[in-house]
Amino acid sequence: MTDCLLSARGIAKSFDQNRVLHGVDFDISAGQVVALLGENGAGKSTFVNILSGALPRDAGTIVWNGAETVFRDTRSALDAGIIHIHQELSLISSLSVMENLFIGDYRTGRSGVIDRKSLAAKARELLARVGAAHIDPRVEAGSLSTAEQQIVEIAKALARNARLLILDEPTASLTPHEAEALFAIVRDLRAHGVAIIFISHRFDEVFAISDRVVVLRDGRVVGDRPVSQTTRAGIIADMTGRAFTFDALDKPAISAGAPVRLKAEAIADKGRVGPISFALRKGEILGIFGLVGAGRTELLELLCGIRPLAAGRITRPDGIVPVNSTQAWQSGLALLPEGRKTNGILPSLSLAENVAVARRQKQGAILDLGGEKSLFARFRDSLGIVSEGPQQPVRRLSGGNQQKVIFARCLASEPEILFLDEPTHGVDVRTKADIYRQVQDLAKKGMSVIFVSSELPEVLALASTVMVLSRGRQTMLAANDRLTENDVLTAAFAQA
Amino acid sequence: MTAATVIRFVRTRREATVLAMLILVFLGLTFASEFFLTGRNLSNVARQISVVGIVALGQALVIIAGGIDLSVGSVIGLSAVTGAIVSATTGMPSLGIVGAIGIGMAIGFTNGVLITKLRINPFITTLGTLSIARGAALLITNGNPQRFDNWAAFLGYGKIGGLPVQFILLVALTILVWLFATRTRWGRNVYAVGDNARAARLAGIDVAKTRILVFTVSGSLAGLGGLLLGGMLTNANPNLGLGYELDVIAAVILGGVALAGGRGSIGGVVIGAALIGLLRNAFVLLNVSGYWQTITIGLVVILAVGADSLNRRTEED
Ligand SMILES: Nc1ncnc2c1ncn2[C@@H]1O[C@H](COP(=O)(O)OP(=O)(O)OP(=O)(O)O)[C@@H](O)[C@H]1O
Ligand SMILES: [Mg+2]
Repeated sequence: MTDCLLSARGIAKSFDQNRVLHGVDFDISAGQVVALLGENGAGKSTFVNILSGALPRDAGTIVWNGAETVFRDTRSALDAGIIHIHQELSLISSLSVMENLFIGDYRTGRSGVIDRKSLAAKARELLARVGAAHIDPRVEAGSLSTAEQQIVEIAKALARNARLLILDEPTASLTPHEAEALFAIVRDLRAHGVAIIFISHRFDEVFAISDRVVVLRDGRVVGDRPVSQTTRAGIIADMTGRAFTFDALDKPAISAGAPVRLKAEAIADKGRVGPISFALRKGEILGIFGLVGAGRTELLELLCGIRPLAAGRITRPDGIVPVNSTQAWQSGLALLPEGRKTNGILPSLSLAENVAVARRQKQGAILDLGGEKSLFARFRDSLGIVSEGPQQPVRRLSGGNQQKVIFARCLASEPEILFLDEPTHGVDVRTKADIYRQVQDLAKKGMSVIFVSSELPEVLALASTVMVLSRGRQTMLAANDRLTENDVLTAAFAQA
Repeated sequence: MTAATVIRFVRTRREATVLAMLILVFLGLTFASEFFLTGRNLSNVARQISVVGIVALGQALVIIAGGIDLSVGSVIGLSAVTGAIVSATTGMPSLGIVGAIGIGMAIGFTNGVLITKLRINPFITTLGTLSIARGAALLITNGNPQRFDNWAAFLGYGKIGGLPVQFILLVALTILVWLFATRTRWGRNVYAVGDNARAARLAGIDVAKTRILVFTVSGSLAGLGGLLLGGMLTNANPNLGLGYELDVIAAVILGGVALAGGRGSIGGVVIGAALIGLLRNAFVLLNVSGYWQTITIGLVVILAVGADSLNRRTEED
């Protein structure tokens, strides 16, 4: 193909003995959006990392812009116009948002001094373009929520002149609203001839913006078609290697007489969220929806004692209200936090340890290492964690598999109340269904669950009760029997 | 084990590089000096390794937890004089031992509390206690060396079954710390905290307690180190252990512990301590000036860590 902007042939890659890519062929032309799909661990991130010079390849050729090219590092790929937004956030948390936006590329005056004023103005312009005018460019990047950081990453890509933009699960922590803003940008870039590789586990998005769909399975391309010739079922069959049907979820019924496990009365923190009131019963699954910045994460932190309570009252039947995360886990809570890289994984520790870590804190001083191994094996099977074994450091797993490990950590501690902040962030369709099923089974056995999700279908499929937050206020609390997407969205945009 | 896995081990573990260096130095010395393989000299080497090794065990835990303890050298001095004074005034050597280790433990605990409760950076905190402990040692002795009674000489020069007491202590403590680091909840928490403190806290680990614990252990072991070093010299000089923190940290780093925290093995630390001890012995035997000792140890650290990070550059990120 001559009109290809980038053409990769026979790309192969192994990590030690583990062959991850087996000769991948891939083409993309200017002004094209290609969705790259596959199950967790299929090799999507590894492949795009090779394209952007972040990882060396073992074999294969890349023709860029008509000439065979080897990008030795990200710098040279960047200079050629290949911009890669990684799956895991990579902002420097101690630098301000604007410094992050223009990092390595500060517009300096003749004196060599950074002109902070014009930098801030440029930063505001960029943030407005991605629909995030509310973010102050002067604050530290680390103080932003995961979703806000994600938006800043996108703005950062816009600050450079992209010819090929690689988006590795950019929407995983965005709600439909922010995702839509992103798609508007993607369409605009496409119209300007930018090629875009888009990795996602959300099919609606794939159908909404891509021109072509490429499916990877176990490091091989198993499907490459125009989007008009694909169906959801077809893609899933390609991804998993077999036809796959989703069992309809049946939401557990909560009897009105079920005991209350946790009661919140007009709770609030200092300014970001509240007042919020609800009662969580045994076996209840409370789904919390809201736009980015609505205060969902903050609410979970309040309930788990991580964020100080400024007003209101939390009560539990045993009277224990934790004031820090250690107490929270001790008293039968479990939290899957947002942001797996910064808040979730213990990167150099083994998979078995990452799963067992919270459970250990409730057990004796001497560890049962054998028991921890079989604990891991159990979750590896039930969640389909793709790994080389219980001793592998968790940082070597693909993003979605890391997420499963943290989910397993929560379940392993056998909590009374399970708090999940974006539990299926980056998880493939099949595993999502597994996770939903496990959550429901556990709820039927009496565990209560509070989960936050940006995916509206997920909230409606799983929750027995739905709460919606808008700018920190509670704008809806309703049983999920006749709720529609529209009801929930209306509440999410409501001005409380 | 196939050849490939052996090569991979050597390439990816800093301990292995250091072990190779250790063997080289050992062989070199065997040929270069007729005194090296004598029982007397080997006992000396064993003693030298032991003190560095024992103090390095605590330092290793601190560094694995993501901290650093610069105060160990001063703690050695302060605990040696404290031990000597306590046993001289009470007439009870056992109280001297308690006093020496106790003062180390107290300083370590204080370090931990300052770092976790007041949130002062470990480098700054222990730089402060480095100064304070040394000053205190000079103050209570008026700068004069204190005589140790005979019991201390047992720690310093005694032997059990032909092995120096200190060496037996090193072996016992290494096994203990190794078991702690690999088999107990608290030990593994040390690794988790150093690996990602935020995630560790959110997973229910008591991060503050873990940090206080490692600094307390480090202080206590430095206290014991002071006792042993003082015993070897049969007097407790308030300047004892001056600059010792550098040898100890070098041993830990040579042993493969990541300065960024979260990674490192206890066995490696002992190998690192052995290399430092052996190098120091080499200079004495070969009659090289003390100035060269210092330079060489610096070079060895840079060489070992440099080779190591070249080897795994592709692996990290
Ligand atoms: N640094 C590494 N060292 C060893 N193995 C790795 C490393 N990075 C990735 N792998 C392995 O390569 C395989 C593919 O990983 P990759 O991250 O490309 O998957 P992915 O398709 O992006 O999955 P996800 O949807 O979960 O993000 C996985 O099995 C993973 O364990
Ligand atoms: Mg990935």
